Amino acid sequence: MTSILTADAVGKAYGTGSNRLPIIKGLTLSVEPGEFVSLVGPSGCGKTTLLMCLAGLLAPSEGEVRFKGQRVTDPPIGLSVVFQDYSRSLLPWKTNLDNILFGMRRVTGMDKAAKRDRAMEILSAVGLTGFDGHYPWQVSGGMQQRVAIARGIAAQSELLLLDEPLAAVDAQTRADMQDLLLDLAARFNQTCLLVTHDVEEAVYMADRVLVLGPRPTHVVREIEVDLPKPRDQLATREHPAFLHARHEVLALIRSMRQRTVAA
Amino acid sequence: MNAALQFAERFRVPLCLLLVFGIWQAVHLAGVVPEKFFPSMPEIVGAFWRMLSDGTVITAWVTTFLRALIGLIAAASLGIALAILSDLSPVLSRGIRYVSDILQPIPPAAFVPMAVFMLGLGTKLYAFVIILVTVWPPYLNGVTALQAVSPVQVNTGRMFGLSRSQILWQVRLPAALPEIFTGIRYAATISLIAVIVSEMLAGRDGIGFMIYKKVYAMRSSDVFALMFLVACSGVLLNGLVALLRRALTGWHMRMMERPE
Repeated sequence: MTSILTADAVGKAYGTGSNRLPIIKGLTLSVEPGEFVSLVGPSGCGKTTLLMCLAGLLAPSEGEVRFKGQRVTDPPIGLSVVFQDYSRSLLPWKTNLDNILFGMRRVTGMDKAAKRDRAMEILSAVGLTGFDGHYPWQVSGGMQQRVAIARGIAAQSELLLLDEPLAAVDAQTRADMQDLLLDLAARFNQTCLLVTHDVEEAVYMADRVLVLGPRPTHVVREIEVDLPKPRDQLATREHPAFLHARHEVLALIRSMRQRTVAA
Repeated sequence: MNAALQFAERFRVPLCLLLVFGIWQAVHLAGVVPEKFFPSMPEIVGAFWRMLSDGTVITAWVTTFLRALIGLIAAASLGIALAILSDLSPVLSRGIRYVSDILQPIPPAAFVPMAVFMLGLGTKLYAFVIILVTVWPPYLNGVTALQAVSPVQVNTGRMFGLSRSQILWQVRLPAALPEIFTGIRYAATISLIAVIVSEMLAGRDGIGFMIYKKVYAMRSSDVFALMFLVACSGVLLNGLVALLRRALTGWHMRMMERPE
């Protein structure tokens, strides 16, 4: 099986000369089709920069990113980013439905009516039936992020890059959205790469957790999460394998932080 | 008490007008200013009626209002076009910024004598003066607003395959439009001032010229009547801008008005 996404010795630095600030160095990873991979790391390690490089929104300084075997230079078709800042990512002058249709502009083989039907179908899949005519700013934060996720999927996406998508929603909504994301990923055959600073979320959602080191960051450990599916907010979080993986990730991040502070 | 407040809220516009009339009449009757220079309200209304019935004021008003309106449309379009050009080229942006820094503080009246020498008395003069003073608010707001568009919005556009120019037209310009309209609204007021001043100093027609003539003829009630007309024209011009603004950026107004 060929990987859907690979990063090979990717490096990214800002500035030049003495002002050169390396963010990523020698980062290699691969994501297989159908997988749910979480990326965690100490805060400020450059997770968002990495995601931008993977999405083709930022050119890496070294190495290369490939999506379905093709080298990524611009955002490729079939890859959607769900940004943390949903209130800015959704265009406020478009209704929820029009935002989703905006995401479908590169979709081929569908006429206007078919696109509209597909958009309505995905809107109802994220639980927003009846909110197609609302503007994003007329609905709650959690609902806005669901519109953004729906838009990502509607763009004939195969790979969702999720940049801390749930960081700005409240705790209750967050748990519901985690389950919704897992459900959507299975239902619409989405491979997912989730960037998060929440270790429990990373373990709960993923088949595999990649732990990033401090800046300049690279993958320092890969942890397989062997937990039964579908995941359950209570049972999964009490499962020994969950606790074990969570412990391993947290201990690793803590040791990195101590080393950074000591240095 | 409550009923009185409700009444005041409902009829606030006529009540305010009534208040102005009352104070005006009180000053007139107190005789602080010689009667010749400060006519009573009935005299002013009478003067307006006279000018209205002989038709002179209508032609003059249409001329003046059209000048202000066309000037505003031209200046706003030019301002937005320059803002887009500045956005594409930082060098051009800096150049225009110097020009605007120099020209902006100059009052419209100061441009008129120069324009008379350069362009003579006519349409070109009006176009020159109005555009030169009215173009800046839409331009400056446009530049700031285009720069201030969130990188997340831009990245969203890029992610869905929009080209640079598509991002400008479909993402950044719509996002910047509410702030551009704040500039256009301000420009509407300046445009009317520029027209009246030009007509007063170098005109052969229009309300400004009419005011000038009436001043020299010592027709104070006519002058005041015309001043009220200018005030109403300002309100009308602002109203037209507000209509267009609601049509194009109604989403923003509703977003700002919504209860938290």
